[in-house]
Amino acid sequence: MSVLLALLVAVPLLAAVLPLFLAPWNRRVARGVVLAALLAQIALAGGLAWRVLTGGATTYVIGAIPASFGIGLAGDRLTAVLVVLVALAGLGAYLVGGIDRGPAGSLWLLLVAGLTGVVVTADVFNLYVFLEISGLAAYALVASARDVDAAVAAFTYLLVGTVGATLYLLGVGYVFVATGTLAMADIAVALPTVGYDSTLVIAGFVLMAVGLSVKLALFPLHSWKPAAYASAPPAVAAMLAALGSTVAGYALLRLTYGVFGVAFLGAVPTVQVLLVVGGLVSVVAGGVLALRATDVRRLLAYSSVSQFGLFAVGLALATPLAVAGALVTLVGHAVAKGGLFVAAGALARAGDLRTLDDYAGLGRRAPVVAGAIALLGTSLVGLPPTVGFAGKYLLALGGLEQGSALGLLSAGIVVLSTLLSLAYVGRLVERLYLGSPPGATPTESESATDRREGADAATDGGVSPSADGGVSDTDADASQAGGDDGVDPISPATPALVVLVVAAVLVLALGLGSSALTDWLAPVVEGWL
Amino acid sequence: MSHTPFTDSPVVTTTVRLLSPFVLTFGLFTMFHGTTSVGGGFQGGVVAAAMVITVAFALGFAPTANWIDARALGALVASGVVVFGVVALAGLAFGGAFLQLDVLPIPNATVYATEAIEVGIGATVGAVIVVLFVRIGEGNTETTETVSADSARPPHGSDASEEARGE
Repeated sequence: MSVLLALLVAVPLLAAVLPLFLAPWNRRVARGVVLAALLAQIALAGGLAWRVLTGGATTYVIGAIPASFGIGLAGDRLTAVLVVLVALAGLGAYLVGGIDRGPAGSLWLLLVAGLTGVVVTADVFNLYVFLEISGLAAYALVASARDVDAAVAAFTYLLVGTVGATLYLLGVGYVFVATGTLAMADIAVALPTVGYDSTLVIAGFVLMAVGLSVKLALFPLHSWKPAAYASAPPAVAAMLAALGSTVAGYALLRLTYGVFGVAFLGAVPTVQVLLVVGGLVSVVAGGVLALRATDVRRLLAYSSVSQFGLFAVGLALATPLAVAGALVTLVGHAVAKGGLFVAAGALARAGDLRTLDDYAGLGRRAPVVAGAIALLGTSLVGLPPTVGFAGKYLLALGGLEQGSALGLLSAGIVVLSTLLSLAYVGRLVERLYLGSPPGATPTESESATDRREGADAATDGGVSPSADGGVSDTDADASQAGGDDGVDPISPATPALVVLVVAAVLVLALGLGSSALTDWLAPVVEGWL
Repeated sequence: MSHTPFTDSPVVTTTVRLLSPFVLTFGLFTMFHGTTSVGGGFQGGVVAAAMVITVAFALGFAPTANWIDARALGALVASGVVVFGVVALAGLAFGGAFLQLDVLPIPNATVYATEAIEVGIGATVGAVIVVLFVRIGEGNTETTETVSADSARPPHGSDASEEARGE
């Protein structure tokens, strides 16, 4: 019994009341309150991690009403990792700035509370409630960009997200009818007596899984994601990219193994096949769409669709290695994608850079940001020593170890995903370091100086004919600093830079310490399988 | 200009004036009944908010909106969360679990703590509905104000109407 579990949700939830009233009076104070609440959340999350490390998994029941009737909360090693991730991302993304207008601070804390709630809850209906809390806060935060694109994207997100959550709730209803309880532990006990292959149970699982897949943005349920991520304020985009789908993925994992159990997958093999096929389609479709994207944030959003396809494959395989791989992929992707969106947001705010062509030559204009983008992108591709490699390696190994046709297909999907992500991350990195900055590209046809600068662009082997395409719509005030090759440096805000560097270091640290992470998670995975 | 009722019928205005305290009382009655029978904070809050909306329709939107203090409304919106939080943490403070009601040092603790939460929910629900109504209605009054400003435009001195339109 650790009251930390309840406080983890209650503290941000109650603190969310304050910014709503403080913001009109004094924006700075409101911001301070949000920061204080986020720091308190990190302390609580650290406390839970410490509690789990020293005392093992812990539970809590709200109001001392037994969990089978009331609301139970549970914290194990996996929960601790996710809670710490939510708290850190909540603070890191908030530091990117730009969301202290009106009720945005309150919504931010509600989002943190909702996401934390999804992670710590041990009750399927309560999970729905927290999904909706985080969902509604996310819709409003996307809309807080206050322009037409954001309004449309938020409305689409609202409709699609609500349908997803409702499907999940329908599934909960089916499971409740089948088992007579809503507590995860009790459902897990009751399901075998009902029969795994009873129509009720299968329908319940499918509805819940499809509902969560909407939040996960698996293809073809991904349509809300690119628009929402591209039009949201930078901080919100970073937060959602890091956590929105990650927490839904965690919920699906918890549901599949903690509630329905591996025996259910054994009894209904179709579920596994469908998950792997869904993952395959997501990997391919997300990758191809990312290849076609011109807006960087859309590219990154499609990349998320692809990466979560990989996660679904790992989830379906039901071997310890593959599930560990799925978990490492989940955590690693959250850090990398959150960091990339922090970078994209910072560049959009500093120099209004949004498209791939805008990014040309950033390696010289903003070396730190470009380096971080390259490193985080490397993690998406899955090259050592990043955490992305660790996740993909475990997934592929898990697939090969299983040896069935499905397992071999999964290993193939991992390789395919690597190739696709290499292609779209390659496009980005190639622009960063080999494209010539828009300010330096010649606007008139031919002169001696232009020849000298064009030599840079010619070194990229003619891969990108469009490197010059961004010239026409760049800022007219690209000031030609005399002997500087016309390259004006871009300086993003310091907090965003710090967060970005921390994310890059985390990706490396998690990659190098991936065995420690898998050891840390091993008891949970073994308990499931 | 803004004090013209929406309706000219004295029957409607008088009826609303007479009924509104009773409707509000019924709203509170519904809230307090949440623990023992049909009712609760959500329903009671809606009834109370319906009273405000009825008054606005009968006696004119602008005076009603002016009569409501925006800060008080905001405080009511937050009160549900605050009350819930206070009750939950009080359970902790008196040595029970989070949200454990029977450890509170008041007679019939479970019932009265639940009532407090119900009233908090009622305040939040009612206030949110009124806020939504006022926000939606604001667009309405803006148009009517500009229309009336245009119709009541003085023959000389277009400044006044410009200002009115600017608001």
